[in-house]
Amino acid sequence: MPVQVVTGNHAAGYALSVAGEANRTGRGVACGIYPITPQTEIVEFVASFPFSKGRVVPAESEHSAMAVSMGAAMCGARAFTASSANGLAYMAENIMVAGYYRLPIVMVAVNRTLGPPWNIWADQGDTLMLRDFAWLQFYCEDNQEVLDTTLLAFRLAEDRRILLPALTCMDAFIVSHTQTETELPEQDEVDRFLPDLELPHRMRYDEARTLGGLAWPHEGLSMRLEIEEAMRRVPEVYQECREHFKEVFGRDPGDMIQTFATDDAEQVLIASGSIATTAREVVRQRRASGEKIGLIKLKLFRPFPEAAIRDACQSATRVAVLDRNYAAGAGGIFWQDTRATFQGHRDDLLIQNYLTGLCGGDVTPTVIHEILADLSSRSAAANPVWMGIETSKESLQ
Amino acid sequence: MIEIRIHGRGGQGGVTLAKLIATSRFLQGLSVQAFGLYAAERSGAPIQAFCRYAQERITNRNLIYQPDHVIVLDPTLVGPPIVAGLKAGGWILINSPLRAEEFAGQFPRNRLATVDATRIARDNKLGTRSVPIVNTALAGAVGKMLAFPLDQVHAALEHLGFKGPNLTAATRAYAEVELLATPRGSDSTEELVAPSDEGRGPSILRGAGGEPPGIKTGQWATEQPHRRQMIPPCNHICPAGNNVQGFLNALAHDETDSALEILLRSTPFPSICGRACPAPCMDACNRIELDGAVNVRQLERYAGDHGRVTPTALARRDERIAVVGSGPAGLTAAYHLARFGYQVKVFESGAAVGGLLRTGIPEFRLPEEVVAREIDRILNLGVTVETGKRIDRQTLLELARDHDAVLVATGLQQQRDLRLGMDGTEAVVQGIDFLDHVHRGDVRVDGETVVVIGGGNTAMDAARSAMRLGARSTRVVYRRSRQEMPAIREEIDEAVEEGVCIELLTQPVALHQRPGNGARRRYRLTCRRMQLGEPDESGRRAPVEIPNSDFDIPCHRVILALGQSPDMSVFPEGTEVREGSQLLGLLETPLFAIGDLATRDGTLAGAIGSGRRTAVHIHNVLSGENVRITEHADALRDVDDWCDEVIRADALKLHLFERQPVSEGDSLSMAKRRSTFDEVHMGLEDASEASRCLSCGVCNECDLCCTYCPEGVLKRVGHRLEFDYAYCKGCGVCMAECPRNVIFMSHL
Repeated sequence: MPVQVVTGNHAAGYALSVAGEANRTGRGVACGIYPITPQTEIVEFVASFPFSKGRVVPAESEHSAMAVSMGAAMCGARAFTASSANGLAYMAENIMVAGYYRLPIVMVAVNRTLGPPWNIWADQGDTLMLRDFAWLQFYCEDNQEVLDTTLLAFRLAEDRRILLPALTCMDAFIVSHTQTETELPEQDEVDRFLPDLELPHRMRYDEARTLGGLAWPHEGLSMRLEIEEAMRRVPEVYQECREHFKEVFGRDPGDMIQTFATDDAEQVLIASGSIATTAREVVRQRRASGEKIGLIKLKLFRPFPEAAIRDACQSATRVAVLDRNYAAGAGGIFWQDTRATFQGHRDDLLIQNYLTGLCGGDVTPTVIHEILADLSSRSAAANPVWMGIETSKESLQ
Repeated sequence: MIEIRIHGRGGQGGVTLAKLIATSRFLQGLSVQAFGLYAAERSGAPIQAFCRYAQERITNRNLIYQPDHVIVLDPTLVGPPIVAGLKAGGWILINSPLRAEEFAGQFPRNRLATVDATRIARDNKLGTRSVPIVNTALAGAVGKMLAFPLDQVHAALEHLGFKGPNLTAATRAYAEVELLATPRGSDSTEELVAPSDEGRGPSILRGAGGEPPGIKTGQWATEQPHRRQMIPPCNHICPAGNNVQGFLNALAHDETDSALEILLRSTPFPSICGRACPAPCMDACNRIELDGAVNVRQLERYAGDHGRVTPTALARRDERIAVVGSGPAGLTAAYHLARFGYQVKVFESGAAVGGLLRTGIPEFRLPEEVVAREIDRILNLGVTVETGKRIDRQTLLELARDHDAVLVATGLQQQRDLRLGMDGTEAVVQGIDFLDHVHRGDVRVDGETVVVIGGGNTAMDAARSAMRLGARSTRVVYRRSRQEMPAIREEIDEAVEEGVCIELLTQPVALHQRPGNGARRRYRLTCRRMQLGEPDESGRRAPVEIPNSDFDIPCHRVILALGQSPDMSVFPEGTEVREGSQLLGLLETPLFAIGDLATRDGTLAGAIGSGRRTAVHIHNVLSGENVRITEHADALRDVDDWCDEVIRADALKLHLFERQPVSEGDSLSMAKRRSTFDEVHMGLEDASEASRCLSCGVCNECDLCCTYCPEGVLKRVGHRLEFDYAYCKGCGVCMAECPRNVIFMSHL
């Protein structure tokens, strides 16, 4: 398995391409693409890949790119696309539709700040805007994880017990444009990992069928419930896919949440994306000096892995949730779901929110140390803390 | 772990340099990172790129704040920021032709290295002259500085697809870089080498870093913008061949003299056409689709009346040329031939130079002093005139013998008649003759009921003159509908305003004297109602009689304005007279017919165009030169991006223009219009109307394209647009922003 120095974008583009190519013995690959910084390298890579069966369609907008991918998926092709930030906002209507159509499309999103003010750097607000759209969501910390998770996402999304689209996310530039060594699987390995897609509700020439027509309330309700049931099956199916991945590629793509030193931790950091790498290094240092600190990296965000998080926090008394995102008027989005996870289970737990790295800020080890200092000084949780900026206590308390 | 920070400018290849260093370490088995600090990526903007390598797996995801070494791609960036956080003893590598010592005073804590990578890049033709790509040369210098063997540098370059001149540049920089090691005991920045290239496959990035280097963002383009200027419809349709857009653009910039100069390239009669031209340019004007045609006629008058330009002969030639007839066609030919330098003599049968210009258009439309002024401009070029000289078949042959070329511009002199039964009596007069008498002031129609038959400008002029002379009523009788009337639309409107009645779809059939013993003889004109049938050969719908529809119009006088036909008596029977064909083919002397005689066009502008075309043709024949007339005759502009297509309104972005009402200029009061021959139109007070011109298809250098180019790769140099295709991504913003559609995209 060759190791190469590639960017996160190229890792993603490679994963999408070889996954699509793996369906050449089935109904091939088809997808719509549209460029946007910092995702453009992904679609350029995909567009230049010599697929054996199917084609890549440069669309005139993100909205149409997703529409093309949906149409392709409905006809049984392996479909994917990629986008970022305001492009995702424009695509949003069709992103929602793809979820409710139960189409196993995989999209790679590069997390970029939603403008205005114009900003091309990392912030998770763009994909978290889509959190309620019946898509699986994964947040990755480095190139290798982007590649592995993207391949895994196809397997999971196409499983008949799931049949939901999946989103693989990475931080703009910090991952998308950073070139570092990455293991790239061979096509035959990917072929073994991803069987041909057989979409049970695919369109056929010889069988008239409507997708998404008018449904009465009780019909619509039962379809929503089926989606919820599929979401609840994800943890179990994920572990199956992960085991299969290890068998084929000889590498662990990682669990839905990845804990580090949480077993006896009194203080636990919850982080995602590239911040998790930095946080892990800080925890490693602090552990070395005897402090009982642990880290949970949230890889899976939808469905929210509630049970796993509660498990990992059994010894904790204080939890710091680091959010590179924020919902206006509500605070960090990971923090909100974390609070809900412990509601009625651990009402004694102090859960404090830290907003850090928003709008592309560099989250350095120093920032993590500051967060830990703040967390240990608290007797009770308060409103989210905005790191790296002077805030008026009155306005935020 | 070693961390390196690179300072450069967008386009120099800083990020690729980071990757080259990382790749060379990666191939030695180290863990590596290379990344840039991206913002609005623009050529020339300061950028930073970073590279890390370590033996253990790298877990740092941050920017580099405390680099071990710094590389500076552009010497203008040398200053305190480049050493921010730099570890003592670390290397500073500067792309500079200076010796490393020159920087020692500025950076005493560090080791210094310099290499003239810009020169090496230029010598190897890497990048453009203005933005040489220095990264591969610097990769060689870095290799020497950090003690990597040269073959490891080459391995990295080849791994990324660089070859040829890039390898040469790296090799040369490896040899030429000047190292000024350790002025103060440096902390050892020990090098990490663990040879192992197991499991390292070929790059998946096919072609990246090949030739030319991938940093040129123009390679992303699937389309490229170009400027292509088209012919505006006004220029295309003007029978005189005026550069309408050109003179309007000059007026819009308050350059009245320059506007007149542009007009005088094609026409000697801007003040006259500015009053009496039917202005087909205004019917063709694309601005009609927005808020009404640009008032080109009045603006031409403005340029003609206010511009101060004295045209001169461009050369002096000995050939003698005779022009028969001093109407607009003859005088235009004389004008252009005189400007070419020929000795031109004009023969006029009447008493005054100017033909119909003098006698056929009444004062209230075209004051005599205007005609005199423009004719003087021609005579001042040295054109001589012999008046009272009628040319017949014999004298024409004599002229041909005595001259190097002869032009016949005798126009349409035979007036058409209508057999009404009382022809030849004082009751019936020809319109042209009537207008001539009006000029001379020896005709009276006061108190009369006047009927004018016809629908052209002569009919309108006669009717309006009759009103001014105190006619009790004036009625124009025309056999088709108003749409078919050949008169200038505004003149019809003005005639109606002044009280002229227009009887449409009416054909006179007979004139009878009415019984009675009044001071004046009275007549009745029997007319027949018509309706429109199928189009005839003129393209207009032919009038068809309605049976049993006769009625009488009582009147004192009938004026016939039915058009004229040429007098062909000077030519042998059966001579085919058309523009551009040699007459009397046995003669050696070029002899051409021009103007209405050749074209039957009947308009002032048509006569001017014919005179000019033939003058240029004669010149080409006599001189052997190849002067060409183009519809976008803008010789001042040293550009060649014209095409021969005419631009239509749907190709313009009309929404980008603001609506502005048309400026008409003031008119004389109605009381004066009914009682005097003072000029009706007073002309425009200023030329602001010219700024309504959309400049269809012609770049008027508004520079919106340059302003909005998001890459900054488009600039105007003189009258030319320069696109830097090496960096143009083909986004098409310039095309989208051009209101006049002179930028188009071509597929690559």
